[in-house]
Amino acid sequence: MIDLAALQSGINLLFSDYTVWAVVVPGILIGLMFGAIPGLQISMAMAIFLPITLYMSFTHAMLFLTAIFTGGSFGGSIPAILMNIPGTSSAIATTFDGYPMARKGRHNHALGIALGASCIGVIIGYAILFVLIKSISEVVLKIGPAEMAIVILWGITLIASLSGTNIIKGMIAGLIGLMVGTIGYSEVGVTRGTMGSDYLLDGIPVIPAMMGMFAASELFKLVNTDYLVEDSSARTVSVGEIFAGFKSSVLYPWVIIRGSLIGIFIGAIPGVGSSVANLVSYIQTKRSGRSIAGEDDAFGEGNPAGVVASEAANSTSEAGSMATLLALGIPGGGATAVMLAAFTMHNITGGPQFIREQSDVVYAIVIANFGQALLLIVLGLMFIPLLANVVKVPMRYLIPSVLSLAVFGAFGLTGDLSGPVTVVVAAIVGWVFKRYEYSVPAAVIGLLLGGMAEDSLIYSWQISGGQWHYLLERPAAIVMLILLCVSLGGGKFVSVLSNKIKN
Amino acid sequence: MSSESAVKNKGRFSGERLADLCVLLVLVVFVAWYLLDTYTASTHIMNLILVLPLAVLVLILCATELLTQLKKPLTTALGVADEKESFLSVAPVMALFTAYVLSLHWLGFDVGTFAFIALFLWLHGEKRIVWVLAYSLAFSILVALFFSKMLPYPMPMLLFPSGY
Repeated sequence: MIDLAALQSGINLLFSDYTVWAVVVPGILIGLMFGAIPGLQISMAMAIFLPITLYMSFTHAMLFLTAIFTGGSFGGSIPAILMNIPGTSSAIATTFDGYPMARKGRHNHALGIALGASCIGVIIGYAILFVLIKSISEVVLKIGPAEMAIVILWGITLIASLSGTNIIKGMIAGLIGLMVGTIGYSEVGVTRGTMGSDYLLDGIPVIPAMMGMFAASELFKLVNTDYLVEDSSARTVSVGEIFAGFKSSVLYPWVIIRGSLIGIFIGAIPGVGSSVANLVSYIQTKRSGRSIAGEDDAFGEGNPAGVVASEAANSTSEAGSMATLLALGIPGGGATAVMLAAFTMHNITGGPQFIREQSDVVYAIVIANFGQALLLIVLGLMFIPLLANVVKVPMRYLIPSVLSLAVFGAFGLTGDLSGPVTVVVAAIVGWVFKRYEYSVPAAVIGLLLGGMAEDSLIYSWQISGGQWHYLLERPAAIVMLILLCVSLGGGKFVSVLSNKIKN
Repeated sequence: MSSESAVKNKGRFSGERLADLCVLLVLVVFVAWYLLDTYTASTHIMNLILVLPLAVLVLILCATELLTQLKKPLTTALGVADEKESFLSVAPVMALFTAYVLSLHWLGFDVGTFAFIALFLWLHGEKRIVWVLAYSLAFSILVALFFSKMLPYPMPMLLFPSGY
């Protein structure tokens, strides 16, 4: 499984020339900055800095870009925790418990634990990639629309568990979110729900909608509040607490391992990736319902395990998407698409031939990412205290500043005013939903998964010719369906069975 | 609770329950309209494969919720009602934010952001006019210039150069 000669060569590549590491530090800092500013995407950072990589060797270029990827994956959790803004779709689940922790004055702990889970996630993800890169690529080749539909269905089941106090209203919000996610051009070439607007032909811009529903609506709600953290004694920035939070991430080994396995597997699926991985990891952790002593806040109200689950999965999914890129030459999302462009700029084609002929470079990338995870700890611990000061800013300054940033960011995502308009509409809808007990997270997850769910259903229907027994002919789909059923009802089945045995 | 405030609360909660019903009805109307729009666009199975079952499910859930709400007395309080976030206190912020976004086409991100932040600060009790102007100016200039340099497409601006 591991080519020892290539591994030796990869290590030599990394440690014979120390300039290789000189590109990693700026890469992580760029990633952290772009991840932490709502509206600036990791793929945008990579695209902006892509021309610089022309003057680097291929190894330098890949390390620089993966460093941006690693920094950005964690950077997205900072606004998610402090401002309830999931800057990227991979940080949605981080807001569920991270933001309530911040509101309770546990922002230092939340940021530290997110950093810890992210770093451990990167290390586990690349360790799995190190050993199983060829096996992962073979599994990815077996995944078709039916399997993707099951993965997306897995994400959709989160709607039911995020329904909040009023389950029917929560389900209504989630299902309407799914419907809204299908607005725009359909596969048969007709438009639906656009009301004649050209801006809606590609559908509702999802990330601006998320910013509006999560962040802007929450800021409306806090308009009569003086500070984000109301308890003045808790309104502090403590490097010690951030570090304590960082250390406490190791108290959730099973949450991290489960999140990492989910992250690497779902992250490797092109087009699904970290957006779904963090949701599936969160839902599995929530279903297992385990907390550690002293951390007894319910999920959705500030349970650190929720932050760990989300961050472990979205960090590991980076390694998953790298597996698909390196082994198959297929980019799973925007960030890996830019990396593929870097491949082309250096006259390199990803895929089985690349893995076979340049194993040393692959191993160098993998090992360098272990180093990047360690550097992320240092840089993250230096960077977080600066941003955590946001809790000391009075709300009358924070609200207009964050609303403006969301508007700028939304414009940055869409390139026209449809993004900012989406933020406003989503903010008002989000406020109304919160006010009348319709679950906002369920609606956002529906919105994110609606288009993906419809596409995978259509492709499955086209391939199967409408015959549902097609599913039974696909072993990967059957295995995933069984896993989904076990995850949904396995726990209850075991407890009912054990109760019967006891009786 | 005094009898006067009880009467006041009774009126408020009645209004809230009616608003709750109105929200549900708006959602029903939206789902019915979207289903009709999708069906009118094409009756092909690929066009309806997800929307039709979802719409039916949502309408069933809405009917269930409607029956549940109608069974409750109109004066029952909503669980989330909170004095701090009454519509009257949030409405001016929503209106200001909406006006800000809708004016960006004309005022640009530079002047629009400055006006939005300055007005927001002024309306929310910041009476130190120098602070209001300094913060709004610094924030709007820094952020507008940063984003206009970083983004690969032109941004609407009134004072700063832009290719919009």
